[in-house]
Amino acid sequence: MAPRPLEITDLLWSVDADGIPLAVSKAAVVDRLTALGQRRAARIVAAMPASAGILDAAYVDALGLRVHCELQRLGEELQLARRIAALLSPIVDMVRLHRPGRVRIVDVGCGLGFVVRAMAASTALGGDVELIGVDLNPFLVAEATRLAGREGLTCRFEQGDAFEPELAIQDGARCIVISSGFVHHLPESGLAEFFAAQARLRIAAFAHWDIAPCLWSTLGAWVFHYARMREPVSRHDGILSARRAYPAAKLQRAAQIGAPGYDIQVMEGSRWHPRALDVLRPIVGILP
Amino acid sequence: MTAAVAVALFILALLDGSFAGFRASVGRTGLINHRQSDYQAARRGAGLLCILLAPAVAAACADILVHPADVDQYTRAGKAMLEVYGPYALLVLIALACYAALNWRLKYLASALILGPFTLVRPVVAILGGALGVTLSNSTAVAAAVGLSVLAVLAVEPLAGCLWYVRNTPGPAA
Repeated sequence: MAPRPLEITDLLWSVDADGIPLAVSKAAVVDRLTALGQRRAARIVAAMPASAGILDAAYVDALGLRVHCELQRLGEELQLARRIAALLSPIVDMVRLHRPGRVRIVDVGCGLGFVVRAMAASTALGGDVELIGVDLNPFLVAEATRLAGREGLTCRFEQGDAFEPELAIQDGARCIVISSGFVHHLPESGLAEFFAAQARLRIAAFAHWDIAPCLWSTLGAWVFHYARMREPVSRHDGILSARRAYPAAKLQRAAQIGAPGYDIQVMEGSRWHPRALDVLRPIVGILP
Repeated sequence: MTAAVAVALFILALLDGSFAGFRASVGRTGLINHRQSDYQAARRGAGLLCILLAPAVAAACADILVHPADVDQYTRAGKAMLEVYGPYALLVLIALACYAALNWRLKYLASALILGPFTLVRPVVAILGGALGVTLSNSTAVAAAVGLSVLAVLAVEPLAGCLWYVRNTPGPAA
């Protein structure tokens, strides 16, 4: 089986076990992309500024921010935060019913925290819901925190690994773990472990939205990333993400292996009709 | 007739300038509430369009003053441009009306089916309309005015981005 192509943003940041950013070799990134036959991606990275062979961290951080801001614009157009809140609302009610106290929603791989901040701004889920975003990239976490503070939003962000969600989860029974556009960044070998890391904490539910891979989503990703995005990296990664996304059966299998006690469902329609509305569809797991 | 064609083209250009200004501003700051800056961006786009369109309008007015008989050439070119831009604009306006009227769950349909794809083909449509106008007018002065107009319309979004938004966007542009 051919190796999965890589998104540029998967390679531009690296952190050590303590979450401290590491230097990233430009040649190593270019070589890796070239080896996978991703010549255009390699050219984009080759044009980035570097010093002594190390990618300019300030440039890369600013680029990451621009890419996430553009991505947020697409999320807004898709009404993503409202869609997520609408699906979570009955799950939150169920958790409230069985376990009095504040319900916590943790968004892993939250990036700039658009979904968390948008849900905090709307208060659609109620004032007793704690909203926390977790991301491995300390720069994005700091920026998400700054943006939330600037708009006076009641939510917070922490640096952490999606495979170690316990950082943000004290009482699993009152916690729902979500993500959006994140799962396709994981290696296939890590999918089951991703779900297992949440199941080990006996969280009430998880719901992870990602692109439903099919001809329509690839075509739509191409049109929208060329029509809406300015950064070449955004365009490259956005279109590739539609091709890299995992099919429902693969997600379902991984979730069943990783979280065996959960009722799991991938909420998508037939693959033969255009998915104009459910471009991102969730895999939902609920602990009975 | 000439005045009606000119006014119709100007209104379409003004609308396009507003949307171009809006597109130049969105996805820059990461803020959740950006409605006021969206309106401001649309006003900026419309204003910038007026400035950029001034050379084309001035050139056309000067030519008509010197050669009044050429007004028919302008009318013919303008009508041809309207035949291309009119249906495009109508569909965009219908899609925007749907976006405003539809339930939030369905709003995205307007984007997915019309607004997104039409943004992508907008430069082609602008050039196509201009080319048709130039072809039918058979006049160098008209061709120059039409060419300047199309350039003005296409320049609004990148120029608005450079003027007002790049410096507020994190880091150097890639």
